[in-house]
Amino acid sequence: LDYNNYETSYTSYGAGGGGGGFMPDGTQNTPSKGRDHIQDTLRPVTIKQILDAQPDGDDFKIDNTKISQITFVGQIRNIAHQATNITYKLDDGTGTIEVKQWHDADAMEANPQTTKLIDGSYCRAWGKLKSFHDRRHVGAQIIRPVEDMNEVSYHLLEATAVHLYYTRGPLDQSNNADGAASARINTNTNANGAAQDGGVDVSEFSGVAQRVYKFLCKERQGAEGIHYQVVASRLNLDTAVVAEAGDQLLEGGVIYTTVDDQTWAPLEPEK
Amino acid sequence: MDHPQTPRILAPHLAKFQHKIVRMLGRVVQLRGDTATIDAGGEVEVMLNRDSHLAVGHAVEIIGKVDGNLHVKVQFSWDFGTNIDFNAAAAVVEATHRHREIFYDAD
Repeated sequence: LDYNNYETSYTSYGAGGGGGGFMPDGTQNTPSKGRDHIQDTLRPVTIKQILDAQPDGDDFKIDNTKISQITFVGQIRNIAHQATNITYKLDDGTGTIEVKQWHDADAMEANPQTTKLIDGSYCRAWGKLKSFHDRRHVGAQIIRPVEDMNEVSYHLLEATAVHLYYTRGPLDQSNNADGAASARINTNTNANGAAQDGGVDVSEFSGVAQRVYKFLCKERQGAEGIHYQVVASRLNLDTAVVAEAGDQLLEGGVIYTTVDDQTWAPLEPEK
Repeated sequence: MDHPQTPRILAPHLAKFQHKIVRMLGRVVQLRGDTATIDAGGEVEVMLNRDSHLAVGHAVEIIGKVDGNLHVKVQFSWDFGTNIDFNAAAAVVEATHRHREIFYDAD
């Protein structure tokens, strides 16, 4: 999987959201009520982000930027059939929200996919955040079952990448370990075999960081990780130097913390 | 809302999440009646409930409470099939903890 490229603009309805988010025309609110015309955008989010969204007049902001359409993936916890809509309660591990799919009087036939939407199954929703008497829900245009379960992982990683884009700025390809998180996790072998271990390219990091990373890969036993002071002593390096290298590698997303913040394991592709 | 946040974790995080309700995606290694072993970045012992239908070799996502022995008492499980990319799943766990602000509230 290569998370190197993500669209920075979700203005096209066909983009983002993991597969065919075409919005039927009848659903757009006309921006003619004297408020600022906002670009119609589609943002992948976690339910926690939806619940934490900041009200901004009639709209909402997530990560300080107005949202228009949102998309997310969640597990169905409850289905309630009501007179005018079906209300799904979705839970993605970060929060729970009600998603209302209004009955479409013009629909010629029932959507056969709906039978796959059952308690416990995962689905993807596209729609707009609404608030009524301080209770939030999503008015959904489309809710469809998730077929390939990797879509759950895909969506959460995409939401993370877009969150980082809005909070840290665009990926700077030119030499910045900071934005490189998404580029590192890749299972393709790198033609430049030099600074590679377990399929992850660490050539962008400092020499010390590369040594620390190689050590973590070589010495790993199970998934408990190795304490950074052990790394320092085995590599004969100053602990402060190893701590700094660890920060680089953590920022770069090639290692992660396990039992505590000072114990690290490399994020390698499965052998 | 009613359902608590269920941060996604792997086996090495169990100690940090003792007595909390978590979500784990792993491969079913062994079934033993009402307990099982799954591999989620390491082997995890889980206690099943009567609705759990696990299949050896399949990926399963469990929601459960971590006990004092670092075993997980399953509250809910869902089969995730046989073509799960576990690297992506591990990346999600990594993202969950590195960018916690969009995933769960720390207490």
